[in-house]
Amino acid sequence: MSELHRTVLYDRHVAGGGKIVDFAGWEMPLQYAGGIVAEHLATRKGAGLFDVSHMGRFIFGGEGATRFLQHVLTNNAEALETGQAQYTMIPNADGGAVDDAYLYRFVEDEYLLVVNAANRQKDWDHFSEHLAEFDDVKMTDESEEIAMISLQGPLAGAILSGVIDSGALPEPTRNELGAVVINGVEVRLARTGYTGEPVCFELFVESQAAGKIWDLLINRGAEPVGLGARDTLRLEAALPLYGHELGLEPDGKEIAVFSCPLARFAVSFSPLKGDFIGKDALAKQHEAFMKILSEDYSLIANLPRRIVPVAVVGKGIARPPAGAFVGDKHVGFVTSGTVVPYWQVEGEGLSSRITDQKAMRSICMVMLDCDLREGDRIEIEIRGKQVEAVIVPFHLRSEAPPYARAILHDHALAIHEDRTRQAGPTKARDLLEKAIENTIWRQAECINLIPSEQTFSPMARMLSIMDPAFRYAEHKPLKAFYEANVFYYQGTDFIEAVETSLEAELRKFLGCAEVETRAVSGQMANAVVFSAMVDYINRTDRKSPPRRIARVMNNHIIKGGHLSSQPMGAMRDFIAHDPKTEKPAITNFPVLPENPYKIDVPACRELLERYRPELIIFGKSVVLHPEPVAEIRAFADEMGIDTVIMYDMAHVLGLVGPHFQEPFADGADIVTGSTHKTFFGTQRGIVASNYAETDERYNLAEAIRRRTFPGSVSNHHLGTMVGLLMATYEMNHFKDEYQPKVIANAKAFAAALKRCGMDVAGDADVGYTQTHQVVVNVGYSRATEIARKLEDNNIIVNYQAAPNEEGFTAAGAIRMGVSEMTRFGMGEGDFETVAQLIADVVNNDKPVKAEVKSFRGGFTDLKFRFGGEEFDGIMEKLHGLV
Amino acid sequence: MVPAELRYAKSHEWAKMDGGTVTVGITAFAAEQLGDVVFLELPAVGESVEAGTPFGVVESVKAAVDLNSPVSGEVIEVNDDLTEDMELLGKDSYGSAWMIKVKTAGDADFQSLMSADEYEKFLEAEEKH
Repeated sequence: MSELHRTVLYDRHVAGGGKIVDFAGWEMPLQYAGGIVAEHLATRKGAGLFDVSHMGRFIFGGEGATRFLQHVLTNNAEALETGQAQYTMIPNADGGAVDDAYLYRFVEDEYLLVVNAANRQKDWDHFSEHLAEFDDVKMTDESEEIAMISLQGPLAGAILSGVIDSGALPEPTRNELGAVVINGVEVRLARTGYTGEPVCFELFVESQAAGKIWDLLINRGAEPVGLGARDTLRLEAALPLYGHELGLEPDGKEIAVFSCPLARFAVSFSPLKGDFIGKDALAKQHEAFMKILSEDYSLIANLPRRIVPVAVVGKGIARPPAGAFVGDKHVGFVTSGTVVPYWQVEGEGLSSRITDQKAMRSICMVMLDCDLREGDRIEIEIRGKQVEAVIVPFHLRSEAPPYARAILHDHALAIHEDRTRQAGPTKARDLLEKAIENTIWRQAECINLIPSEQTFSPMARMLSIMDPAFRYAEHKPLKAFYEANVFYYQGTDFIEAVETSLEAELRKFLGCAEVETRAVSGQMANAVVFSAMVDYINRTDRKSPPRRIARVMNNHIIKGGHLSSQPMGAMRDFIAHDPKTEKPAITNFPVLPENPYKIDVPACRELLERYRPELIIFGKSVVLHPEPVAEIRAFADEMGIDTVIMYDMAHVLGLVGPHFQEPFADGADIVTGSTHKTFFGTQRGIVASNYAETDERYNLAEAIRRRTFPGSVSNHHLGTMVGLLMATYEMNHFKDEYQPKVIANAKAFAAALKRCGMDVAGDADVGYTQTHQVVVNVGYSRATEIARKLEDNNIIVNYQAAPNEEGFTAAGAIRMGVSEMTRFGMGEGDFETVAQLIADVVNNDKPVKAEVKSFRGGFTDLKFRFGGEEFDGIMEKLHGLV
Repeated sequence: MVPAELRYAKSHEWAKMDGGTVTVGITAFAAEQLGDVVFLELPAVGESVEAGTPFGVVESVKAAVDLNSPVSGEVIEVNDDLTEDMELLGKDSYGSAWMIKVKTAGDADFQSLMSADEYEKFLEAEEKH
């Protein structure tokens, strides 16, 4: 037998109580003193530290490296930007896997491929065989020179941040890469891992430096984890292991790559890839796979079985290669399975809490006939007995960071049904009483600090429920009538006049040529623009299938961008896919490292030049500063980029003017917005544009009309349009007083929060904020709990993920806005009081509900509205009509 | 040190004779090798067991291991507390982590098991492998 290998961390494993075993020729720790269960649980609640230096690390360089990798790997290597990683297969010619691997592109001209320890030599030989077919590819094995450490779990980010000398963690999404200095040595970081943890890092460092870094991480609280828990963690995450879910079946048959659940993310048929090893066989599997997903089993012969997660319902542990049955029919076999621990959870949903109680569950992955589906019951033969099991969609979910959450097959949300069997009138009375209670609570007892909200004036509210709230008023301009609007219903004169006046008032407010007022929300307004863009760019050819918007530049959602401008939101059906990345063709604005709420304007130049976006979208839902519209417009003009600049001003619509920003003067083509955040209500959306009728782009303004009606609405909540007209009268009348007051209040609020010891985000030089918003960092993943605690004290705020956090469930910031309380008469001194109340709750855990209630009692009369005796009679009359 | 008053099987079960009743469990060495025990299957009272053949199974996260009966006879008592709290196996292998009690016809099986000394030597030899 040949000598066993040891990693550079071997001595530390022994010293740490590691039980050393032979794994693929390596002396590795199976577990440490605490055992597999404890290590698994420590990773799920704290942070697990893994030595994965035994894996193979190959470096590919040279001009031909990308071409070579496109040929010997299944994923699209060309789609990898510098600073990204991807999961991939190493295919053989028959559609099976030589291995699975992870491809990292830390630097422009070099790729790092990490392969399984057991396959290192085999993979090397396989690549070497194909290397001759390519020019200028340099492949080196640097497994010895570079050590690899994995740090996984909810505390991983905090632990890692604690040892970094300089540099920052990679962007908080999976597969992002970066580099930092730890203990004076450069460490490359990847947001990757093999545990299912949403907070996950892999560290690459020169071998000699690894020991010290390992020690530093342990000193900060990372728990060393052996191969045993590495296996249970990956099983729970349903991640494949070569030799079980990939490679050969126990009887020596090749496992089809598409049998493996991750194959769909690891195999690309992009035209950029050209021909690659196993392409034909994989394409056949893929075709069958797609059909199977839509429950069409006509091509099942090309992919008879696939690997699915299965939960054992009966008593027993399903270990490979136990047989799986439906009745007497043999339908497959277990590929991996054991019992895994999990933390028990108390409560439901966002407020659920992970307890200190552990429990165990028996789970496995099973290679099953492809015509079996999620939810189907099967039996697994365990020691001669048939044990009941069920096909589940997953064992674990990672989309609610910082925790990976165990999903139990028999857990269902409690159903809250009405068991009281109350009569209709009783329920009606109950609803009325609760509405009164809720209105008094929010209108007289709470400090309302949600920046997207606004209380409307009594007049705007009353008008919203008067006739024509019950009517229809579809209309469309016809060229046959010189663009005169044609209404399809009778009795619409009043609402027609209202709409005409509303457009005029908003044109005056925004300083632009056209305003479309029929969208019923800000999100719809954005969807209207995207749809109109597609309409507009296809205007010369109505016969071919319309093309989508080729490239969009916008704010990333984790940098404050709103979902209404994201492919996951309103843009989904309108954005083209980048043929290179096979993802929506979006480029995000770069942000300043020292203030992620501000766009890095100089850095935009290169991106604009490279991508030449067809549509540029400014605007955010976390907005502290004006957007650099004029600067980007100047770049675009200078480079001759034919682009439309849209500014989604939802949050800041009510601040448009000299105190904040004048979008059209700065060069925006289109402004969208909801009308009820800093604006005075009611809840609707608008699209404004500024093209002269003689301008070629006026076609876009016309497309916006068409894509509103009949594209997005037929009827459009006529009552709230009347209310909005009143709100716009109020805004045009009071804005010179209201706008500076909002901004002064926000600055005073931010400064007071800072004085109370809170970590206020934004640029201190401008008073942290130039809008109505104030953002406070309250500690990683603590914001949901703090927002709830503030609500218990009648202070209503948003929890908000900061730009360096993985998602809203890990939110560490609260977002607040001063516009509603400003309208209720609060001034700078009052916001200092509010800051103190918040600090009492957040920093001192002091109950302030009674204080808040009495304080708010002094601010119940809405300002910046028309009122006084002259309106008393007429308002009473309106009330009488309801 | 393993308890002197017990006898031991090569498959790491221990046995204790008390009149015609033999109490059976697994040794601390076996428990340590297994690691976290997550599943235990024991026979029912009234079932008969045979020396050298499995009477149950113990499973850890890593592996499933058969439990071999050191003696033949009839199961007269089963430790239900142990199936509830399998961590006892690592904490109190020779006491509260007993598994079954077997009524035997004679003591021939029992006498053929290793003594404490013999078992310790056996373990030393095992560890060298």
